[in-house]
Amino acid sequence: MPPPMRKDHMQDAELAVLAQAGDREAFGELVRRYAGQARRIARTILGDPEDADDAAQDGFLAALRHIGRFDPTRPFGPWLLKIVANAAADRRRRRRVRQAEPLAPYLATTGDSPDRAADLSGLGAALRAALAELPERQRAALVLFDSEGYSHREIGEILGIPEGTVRSDVFHARRTLREKLGTWEEWRKED
Amino acid sequence: MSDMSPFDHRQDAELGRALRAALSAPDDAAFVQRVVTAVDRVYGNAEPGQWWSVLTAWARPSLVAAMLVVAAAAFWLGLWVGARSPGSSLATIADPLQTESEHLSVPALLVEDRAPTVDVVLAVALGR
Repeated sequence: MPPPMRKDHMQDAELAVLAQAGDREAFGELVRRYAGQARRIARTILGDPEDADDAAQDGFLAALRHIGRFDPTRPFGPWLLKIVANAAADRRRRRRVRQAEPLAPYLATTGDSPDRAADLSGLGAALRAALAELPERQRAALVLFDSEGYSHREIGEILGIPEGTVRSDVFHARRTLREKLGTWEEWRKED
Repeated sequence: MSDMSPFDHRQDAELGRALRAALSAPDDAAFVQRVVTAVDRVYGNAEPGQWWSVLTAWARPSLVAAMLVVAAAAFWLGLWVGARSPGSSLATIADPLQTESEHLSVPALLVEDRAPTVDVVLAVALGR
C-alpha cells in the first residue's frame, strides 16, 4: 500500500475535498497557504493590522463553516478571499457604526505633519499612505491584481463586480498611486 | 512603481512586490496557529466530519427524538385499539353510569329525600 500523500504536496482542491470530509489538518494546510493573502486583503480593506488579522480569522472560520458549499472544480483562492473580503467589509461597517475609532494613523495621511514625515520613511509607508487615499474597491482590485496575481475575472468574482469595472478600478488605482508616489519621491529628494 | 502604463492589463511585478512588502504582516506562522486554535475552540477537538464524531454529536438529540416518537406511537396505538374494541375500558366505565342516568335527572335529584351518592351525581352529569 503506498504511503498517504503529504498534505503540503496536495493541490488546493484535494485539500478542500478532505476538509469537506472533516479533515482538520487539510484545512490547516489551506490556512497556511492562504494566510498571507488573506491578511493582506483584510489589511487593504481595514488598514489596521490587528483588525485585519481578526477579520482574516473570521474569514477562515466562515470558510470552514461553509466548506461544504465550495465547488472543488473551481479555484479555492477566489472563493476564500471573497469570504475574507466580506468579513473585513463587515468589520469595517461595524467600526463605522461605532464611529469611535479613527483610521489607522499610518493610513490617515493628509497634511504634512512631523508624524507623517517620520511615517513616510520608506516606500512601504508611502505606499500604504497612498493606498489609504484610494476608494476601498480600487484598493482591493489593485492589490488582488498586482500583488496577489488574480485575473480580472477572478477579482470580479471576489469583489462581486463586473470584469470591466475591475479593469477600470485597477487603471484608476495605478494612476493615482503613480501621482501620489511621484509626489513623495520629489518630496523625499528635497528633504 | 515600474514604468508600465496604467492601461497595461498585465500584472506589474515591481508594484506587486512593493505592495506585498507594504501590506504583509509579520509572523504568518503565529497567525496560522491562532486560526487553528480558534477552529479547535469553535468546533471542539473532534474532527467534525468523522462518522463517530457526527454520531456522537447527534446521539443525545436522536435518543430524545426516538423516545418521543415511541411515546407518541404508543399513545395513538392505545387510542386506536380502545376505539376499535367494544369492551374497551372507556366503554366499561361509562356504560353502567349511562344506564343509571337514563332514569335520573337534576330535578329528580333535587326533590329526593336523601342526598345523592357520588355515583348518582356522576351518572346524571354524564347523561347530560
